[in-house]
Amino acid sequence: MPLFESIQNLTFFSTIRESALAYPVILATHLSCIAMFGGTILMTDLRLLGLAMTDQPASDVLVQFRNWKRIGFVMMAVSGLLLAGSKAETYYANPYFHLKLVLLALVGMHALAFRRCVHRTPKLAACLSLALWLGIVSFGRLIAYYEPTSRDLAHTVPRTEPP
Amino acid sequence: MQAFDPSTNPLNNNEWSFPLLEIIHIVSFAMSIGTIAIVDMRLLGLGMWHRTSAQLVKSTELWTQFGILLAVMSGIFLVSTDPANYLHNRAFRFKIACFLVAIVYNYTLHLKVAMSEHSAFAGRLAGTLSLALWIAVVFGGIFYAFI
Repeated sequence: MPLFESIQNLTFFSTIRESALAYPVILATHLSCIAMFGGTILMTDLRLLGLAMTDQPASDVLVQFRNWKRIGFVMMAVSGLLLAGSKAETYYANPYFHLKLVLLALVGMHALAFRRCVHRTPKLAACLSLALWLGIVSFGRLIAYYEPTSRDLAHTVPRTEPP
Repeated sequence: MQAFDPSTNPLNNNEWSFPLLEIIHIVSFAMSIGTIAIVDMRLLGLGMWHRTSAQLVKSTELWTQFGILLAVMSGIFLVSTDPANYLHNRAFRFKIACFLVAIVYNYTLHLKVAMSEHSAFAGRLAGTLSLALWIAVVFGGIFYAFI
């Protein structure tokens, strides 16, 4: 798809892809955000399930972690966009990346759906959240394992060396 | 030591076990570092003001330990697929060094500060050092594949 080829050939994304340092630094930042902010998602869900932090009301835990989850989500999304943008063409054809995006959309819908009624069905909300995030991490890792077939690459115009 | 010969290690003879172990490793380090980060954010005075750091340690420590245990176990399996390459890799050595310092620090000084009535300065220092060490561990793990 020419669009995705042009995206990844933007000077900005080419610099990231070809730099020995930028790509791993952004990837490690992405993973560090998962490590730092994944805990707030996990503890919120475990509180809703009644498995952790039971000595304080679930609503308190939700409120205290809300901003941290927002900050973490933005940092993960920005670093993730930089990673995907620098390899836009392979990501476009990668089914694991598609699945990850679908689950991210579902996480957004989950947040909207349970925004006001999480106290009515806390366990359902927590189980869905845990399942969605587990899927997002899993498909995120599996992106690296997809080997494009010749059909996926058929649209790629072979680059000719300049004379 | 047949299990440590990469060619006979069963983990290398199928396509799914390595990525599966990686996923378990990521989820479990997110569980352990994430719960430690909750305490660190409190120590830094950046949130969770309803609770003391000591209360946060008590309510997260079980999950921290479970995460560390799972991360170490999956990590050992991952290393076993190609031990020589890991052990000679500078990023991996850096990671292990940082991990050992981080784990000792977490259960000595860090715990002592978090469980006591500490000054704001001591809290900030302890929280910053903790986050820096754990982030260094993650960076070492990623750079293994890039150097």
